[in-house]
Amino acid sequence: MSAEVRFRLGVDVGGTHTDLVLLDVASGEISVEKVSSTPHNPAIGVLNGVNNFVAKGTPPDAIEFFSHGTTITTNALLEMRGAKVGLMITDGYRAVQEIQSQGRDGNPFDYFYDKPVHLAPQSMTREVPGRVDWEGAEITPLDEDAVREHARSLMDAGANSIAICYLFSYANSAQEERTREIILEEFPDAHVSLSSEVLPRIREWPRLSTTLLNAYLGPVLVDYIGDLNKGLDDGGVSTQQRFLMQSNGGVMPFSAAVQGGKTVYTLFSGPAAGAQAGAYLSGDDAMKGIVTLDMGGTSADIAFIQGGEPLEVTEVTVARRPLGVPALDLTTISAGGGSIAWINRGGFLCVGPQSAGADPGPACYGKGGEDPAVTDADIALGYLNPGYFLGGSQTLDKEASEKALEEKIAKPLGMTIREAAAGIRRIVDLRMADEVKVFGAKRGVDPQDFCLLPFGGAGAVHAASVAEELGITRIFVPPRPGAFSALGLLCTDIVHDYVRSGLRPMELVTPGHAEEVFRELEARGFAELEEEGISPDGARFERELDVRYTGQGYELRVSLGGLGGEAGFTADDMAAARDRFDDKHAQIHGHAAKDRSVEIVSYRVRLRVAVPKYEPVPASEVTETPAPEDSVKGTRTVYFDAAEATETTLYERDKLPIGARLDGPAIVEQFDSTIVVPESWVGRIDGYGNLILGRER
Amino acid sequence: MDPVTVQILRNKVSSLVDEMHYHFYRSGYSTIIRESRDFSCVILDPRGRLIIPPPMFFHGIAYRTFIENLFKNYDMDEIEDGDVFVSNHPYEAGMPHVSDMGFVAPIFSEGKLVGFSASIAHKADIGGTNPGSTSANSTELYHEGLLLPPIKFHRAGEPDPDILRVILGNSRHPDLVRGDIHAQVAATNMGVERMKENADRFGADTVIGAFNAILDGAADELKKAIAALPDGTSSAEGYMDDDGVDRDTPVKFAVTITIEGDKATFDYSDSGPQARGPVNLRPAMVEACTFYCLVGALGPHELHYNGGMGDVVELKFAPNTVTNASPPAPVSSYQKANLRLVDVILDAMSKFTPTRAIAGSGSSGSLLISWQGGGRPGHSTMQYEIMGSAYGGGYGHDGCSMTATHLSNLHITPIEILESEYPCRVTEMSVIPDSGGAGEFRGGVIFRRRYELLQDAIVVRRYERAKFPAGGVDGGKNGQASKFIKINHNGSETELEAAGKYEMTAGEGFYMEKAGGGGFGDPAKRDPEAIKRDIAEGYITPEGAKRDYGYDG
Repeated sequence: MSAEVRFRLGVDVGGTHTDLVLLDVASGEISVEKVSSTPHNPAIGVLNGVNNFVAKGTPPDAIEFFSHGTTITTNALLEMRGAKVGLMITDGYRAVQEIQSQGRDGNPFDYFYDKPVHLAPQSMTREVPGRVDWEGAEITPLDEDAVREHARSLMDAGANSIAICYLFSYANSAQEERTREIILEEFPDAHVSLSSEVLPRIREWPRLSTTLLNAYLGPVLVDYIGDLNKGLDDGGVSTQQRFLMQSNGGVMPFSAAVQGGKTVYTLFSGPAAGAQAGAYLSGDDAMKGIVTLDMGGTSADIAFIQGGEPLEVTEVTVARRPLGVPALDLTTISAGGGSIAWINRGGFLCVGPQSAGADPGPACYGKGGEDPAVTDADIALGYLNPGYFLGGSQTLDKEASEKALEEKIAKPLGMTIREAAAGIRRIVDLRMADEVKVFGAKRGVDPQDFCLLPFGGAGAVHAASVAEELGITRIFVPPRPGAFSALGLLCTDIVHDYVRSGLRPMELVTPGHAEEVFRELEARGFAELEEEGISPDGARFERELDVRYTGQGYELRVSLGGLGGEAGFTADDMAAARDRFDDKHAQIHGHAAKDRSVEIVSYRVRLRVAVPKYEPVPASEVTETPAPEDSVKGTRTVYFDAAEATETTLYERDKLPIGARLDGPAIVEQFDSTIVVPESWVGRIDGYGNLILGRER
Repeated sequence: MDPVTVQILRNKVSSLVDEMHYHFYRSGYSTIIRESRDFSCVILDPRGRLIIPPPMFFHGIAYRTFIENLFKNYDMDEIEDGDVFVSNHPYEAGMPHVSDMGFVAPIFSEGKLVGFSASIAHKADIGGTNPGSTSANSTELYHEGLLLPPIKFHRAGEPDPDILRVILGNSRHPDLVRGDIHAQVAATNMGVERMKENADRFGADTVIGAFNAILDGAADELKKAIAALPDGTSSAEGYMDDDGVDRDTPVKFAVTITIEGDKATFDYSDSGPQARGPVNLRPAMVEACTFYCLVGALGPHELHYNGGMGDVVELKFAPNTVTNASPPAPVSSYQKANLRLVDVILDAMSKFTPTRAIAGSGSSGSLLISWQGGGRPGHSTMQYEIMGSAYGGGYGHDGCSMTATHLSNLHITPIEILESEYPCRVTEMSVIPDSGGAGEFRGGVIFRRRYELLQDAIVVRRYERAKFPAGGVDGGKNGQASKFIKINHNGSETELEAAGKYEMTAGEGFYMEKAGGGGFGDPAKRDPEAIKRDIAEGYITPEGAKRDYGYDG
């Protein structure tokens, strides 16, 4: 194999399948593999997929870049398979973990309430004398003997990960750092998570929760990356350019993951890759605005992209636990192909949250599922081809769909089967649209002028009706909707996020102080890059402030992009930041108070280092022509509304050339998805092979 | 009514309530909104009935009372598109207490009244005797703040600045109140706009029809669930420490529940006389407690509470009782009365639904500190926190420790926020072992929280359960009683009443212990493994295990 042939590989592990995308750097060509996931040790599935490429002639040492999206930490949390965590907390405050937020989640009428199980039970919690005040001044020195004694007792009790969370450590981390030094003196291999490193932000419970999650999942990730590194080495994949997707849409090198301090950045690694692909691969649309709709078997993930970047949040909940690190702003609703339709006690048609999953699956799978699911409705209405599911590898039973719809829905409600099916679809599609609207409204975004980007198996089956509900007139269907997340792994930079709280009225913060805090965070970024063996050339820092009106409890992130030149942050920059905050508050909440004083709550720095990315090359010329005859597979009766049968043209996606145009009503079928094009929509294949659907407003 | 359209509109109202709620707490100014989240946002039908319950669902009946009284004061043709009404009146609008201010805006489409968008939120200060307005010892409604009967705040889209001036002119914290009102009216108007869009699209009659179908559906669900119960009668009573004024007189709550076919009657006539202190309830609050208990006991996951259930249950009251007070009886500390009443109702319900039986819970309390030395520069001088307690043990279930209980679901204010914004130090937040009532299923344990004051302060505390702890059931023991201890300059301790107003000076401090949950069932029957685990986790001491459970493992 000649040295100039080089490949980059993206591997996305999902619940049932592991998707792999291999990019030939020189030709820009992409090949796809799909293998079964191996949940007991996902590294096996990953390596199986890699071996498939090798078996088909890709030399492993020609893979120069390996990028990985994983649900390893998420699943370990859901299944409670994490480390045995010991916690050291400030003396006198062990109830902080017990009371949490004090609020209850779930059904407010159910007084038999339970909190999620403590990640470090009280029996594994030790209180350490030592206290700093809100400004970071030490009130009580750290009791180092107590630390040493507690470290031993926790290890004796079987701890294999230690979390340290002291009050106000975001304002002064010295006591936490000294605690770690002592623990490492005693136990040099101990896995230690400091709250002042994991999340140096004000509010003790979210910081403690995030630190505990890091401690609980750190050893799981470290072991997994160890297995994967070894497997790749053994398999001859020699590149050390190995990266892991993070919730924030950036990657980190494996060398950072094995340090364990950034484990909590991986909890939304899976869904982040799809949103990142959407931001990177949709060009001008990403600048104007995109709604991504990743609809699979049990749920639909929705994300927004604006100005070329996915929207982000800094507070999320994972398995009922607060997590305070930046993540792409995703919302998930229980609307998937497997979501079950049922009639509630009030006699109304409901869809989900129960899902038929893959086994027994919707009634049409013929595996004993008796409840009608969304996929059954799609089949009964003619949207899906029962003989061409996953490219024909699975045959679906249309009669079983109709029987389930009739018995469980149509008869009891006095409807026809098709009315029942259309009702199910309408409820699901409008729920997705409503979720998009509320999600957007909470962020001050009106999606009407956005483009909808569906992926996942069912996304394009429902995209057009979701778009119609939202008033969206443009839909962007990528060439391989089923492998879109894996492709996203080849579309991102190294990203490290740093934050530090320092709650002060803005007028009391000197520009020099702000500059100093930012520089400290940036120095930390450089130091970490060095530890990870990453060259700092081309590293960029982006600065932000978390700001709120005095008296408010929630802050908004204000970008300082373009502010603070060579000389550093100035008084004028501070005033500009203030103006940006007012504007953002008005945009999101509909009102601003320019005469009210504001507070700085936290300082943020984002470090970006570019890594090689997939760069699709468009066709040199796109001439619009009607879809060629050989792309037409035939026709099928489709009920776009329950009453009226429409003979609809079927197209084979792979046979639609660049520039091909087709008019709705039409159905486009491909191996990993089906695209529904209703009447009044027009489809065009663009220069990149994307299918763009459009209609007049 | 087409079942698909009904479901679609239900989902739309549900999303909308969520959206209103989000905008309000993210942009509210006072800690009571942003940290505790003491507010609700709702959509109502034209009769004021709740369509989808908000997180603080117990405001539901207060809204209906507001609307009913609105129609007493205004003819239909005096209510216009763009109007926003305000009231904080506990009697004329059913508001929980004077500090809770409701805003209500009609939704018109095709010239028809389709419903209302509305919100209720606690205000930092609305005048009255005490800083912060809330009181543990007021003897008249007039001590508790400025009273606004239902009146117009906006007229046909135009704000009436005079009303706002009156409100702000009566407040010790006009800035906080202005900011919160601004955010609250914005959230309320957002509800109007969104519902108008729905009505324009689906048709006003369709929306009204869907509302009726949703309300009737919930009523039917409840009827069926009641019909499945055995007919009969069950009574229970319980006492609150005192009313904050007459210290030696416990306050009695009593209920008799009668089930007959698909009808349920709740008779509160045997409750004690209207109290001198601010613990008086009105029918709107009692009805909310009744439905909370009914839904919780009959099946919280099967029944979908909304305002349609109101027609299924009959409530009876005697005049001038603590459950049906008359103005100007004071009401400020209503929530601890609500929570006491909930324990009593659930006790009576357990005869009908034994597998949902639960022992007494620890109630909820507030702490208000008005800083007299100027507070922290740039921050408010008003510190207000709501603290929960613990649930009682129940059938097959240990009580949850350290949480907001029953009707209350407010968040605790983080220590790091408190110390950064106010001149105080929270020097302890610890677990109190043996504080949960012993039982086969243990009551939840509670915490001790200690404060050091760095400036002079007026401290107002509204709590109880010092004399009457949360009761055990079926052989279970009571939970630990609450304590409120002042720490004097010389380090000595003085026990204070759970409810009261105290002047303290810099360098002094206090700690509070909440009330633990009651135990359920004979402690001797508790699984020894569970006792062992409780000892390891520090929820009970080895001595307590021996004393209360006869365990010496």
